Amino acid sequence: MEVIKRNISLVIGLAIPIVMILLVAGSIYLPGLFTKPHVNFLYASGNDSSDSYYYSNGQQYAVRSNTLIETPIRQHENTDQLPVPMDTKLYIYDVAKNEAREISFEEAKNLNLDSNIISPDGFEFVCGSRDYGFFPLFGGPHGDYRDRYLKGHNVSRKLNLQLNSSNTRRNNPYFLGWIE
Amino acid sequence: METKEEILEYIKTLAEQKTITRAELVSAYDSGSGIKTEAASANKIGIEEILYYIGGMIVFLGIAILIYQNWSTLGFGSRMLATLGGGVAAYITGVLFGRDKRTETVGSAFHLISALVLPMGLYVVFEHAGFDMNGYGVNTLSSGILLCMHLASYAVFRKNIFLVFCTVFGTWFFFAVTGFMYEGNPYFDNIGTLHKYQVLAAGLSYLALGHAFSTSERAPLSGFLNGFGIFGCLGSTLALGGWTPHQNIFWEQVYPLFIFVTLLLSVHMKIKSFLIWGTLFLMAYIVKITMEYFSKGLGWPLALVLAGLSVIGVTYVGITIKKQYLA
Repeated sequence: MEVIKRNISLVIGLAIPIVMILLVAGSIYLPGLFTKPHVNFLYASGNDSSDSYYYSNGQQYAVRSNTLIETPIRQHENTDQLPVPMDTKLYIYDVAKNEAREISFEEAKNLNLDSNIISPDGFEFVCGSRDYGFFPLFGGPHGDYRDRYLKGHNVSRKLNLQLNSSNTRRNNPYFLGWIE
Repeated sequence: METKEEILEYIKTLAEQKTITRAELVSAYDSGSGIKTEAASANKIGIEEILYYIGGMIVFLGIAILIYQNWSTLGFGSRMLATLGGGVAAYITGVLFGRDKRTETVGSAFHLISALVLPMGLYVVFEHAGFDMNGYGVNTLSSGILLCMHLASYAVFRKNIFLVFCTVFGTWFFFAVTGFMYEGNPYFDNIGTLHKYQVLAAGLSYLALGHAFSTSERAPLSGFLNGFGIFGCLGSTLALGGWTPHQNIFWEQVYPLFIFVTLLLSVHMKIKSFLIWGTLFLMAYIVKITMEYFSKGLGWPLALVLAGLSVIGVTYVGITIKKQYLA
């Protein structure tokens, strides 16, 4: 105790960054221990907005009246060279197991889907963030927009999504609806 | 009790008799007035040291340019030899030179080369191992390794230069490890605000360490820590205050209090960097507040005149304080 008293400035100087690290860790990880998402959701992976240059609608599936429908991809009249069309696959995400499994359109169209951005239990399907850091000695930007998270109640949880292909430009996952 | 005139007369007599030297007199005055010039001057960086360090930095630049220009042609072995190998060799040379008092400063220059080159060496190794070089993870790992290495070096050799590297790599580690936790996570909507708090925390930590070192053999580090610390604290609080209409009222109110405390401490603790940065940031605050709140009511020309006059006033007061209390 006497040593701490004599070196109080040194102790404070070393404690400040440690406390800040603990605060950041606490604010990120602690709420997740008490609040967990419960509602599973349906998403698709296959084509992304870059395909809308060639096709009038980039997304092959949509939700109308709580039901999944297929929207045929139409080609723009003024484009002559087309990329090979990519099949869009459907996946159910199990939030309890934190894993995704592929399902067919026939199975998926029987689901009752809520297409609101916010789930009934207050979570939202969002993209990851990216920053260049303040002390960037190695590389950057840090983080990835292509990662997806469930965010709500001061919690954000990284999703372990399955994607249709490893082609990162064309496998952009998009949210379809919460499974009721 | 003699009067001041009698004391000065007595000193004159002693000087004529050559029983007291100028150095003894200055030393007695400094010790009475609490100025720690002895430790500071003994460890002050001279032109010789500066030239050694510049030489060290030129060596680092040479290695960096060699690697950059020949990145694609050099194999992993050559890259590692030039960076990690060079860093380790410079470290060992620094240790060997540091054993002799006459070549101690040359040794410090080699330690500087080592501290600059080793991060490149770790970059080469982690890049070859397939790590994500854009992630905070590799930053955390590299800074953690370098921090541990220099802490161990300080524990063994007790040289102040290792404390400087500990501070630099410790700061890098602090930013990297907090970044690693929120990397990619959309939890923080405004990542810029978190960066400002990180800078504030680092600045406060520097100030506390600067104070802790001020009364020991590590006193030469105090100036560096106080200067960067107060710059970080005042800069981050000014930035946290924001700009109308998105200003943060709390930080906008707290900021002038910080400046007041800084200026007060500059006189109380005789720290010039506090006075310089306190005055500069007070000027910045005056200009900011004038632009934000008075440019519309008074108009830009009058607001500029007021801001200019205030800056002149602040400069005058700052210089007066320096002459009166810190000269």
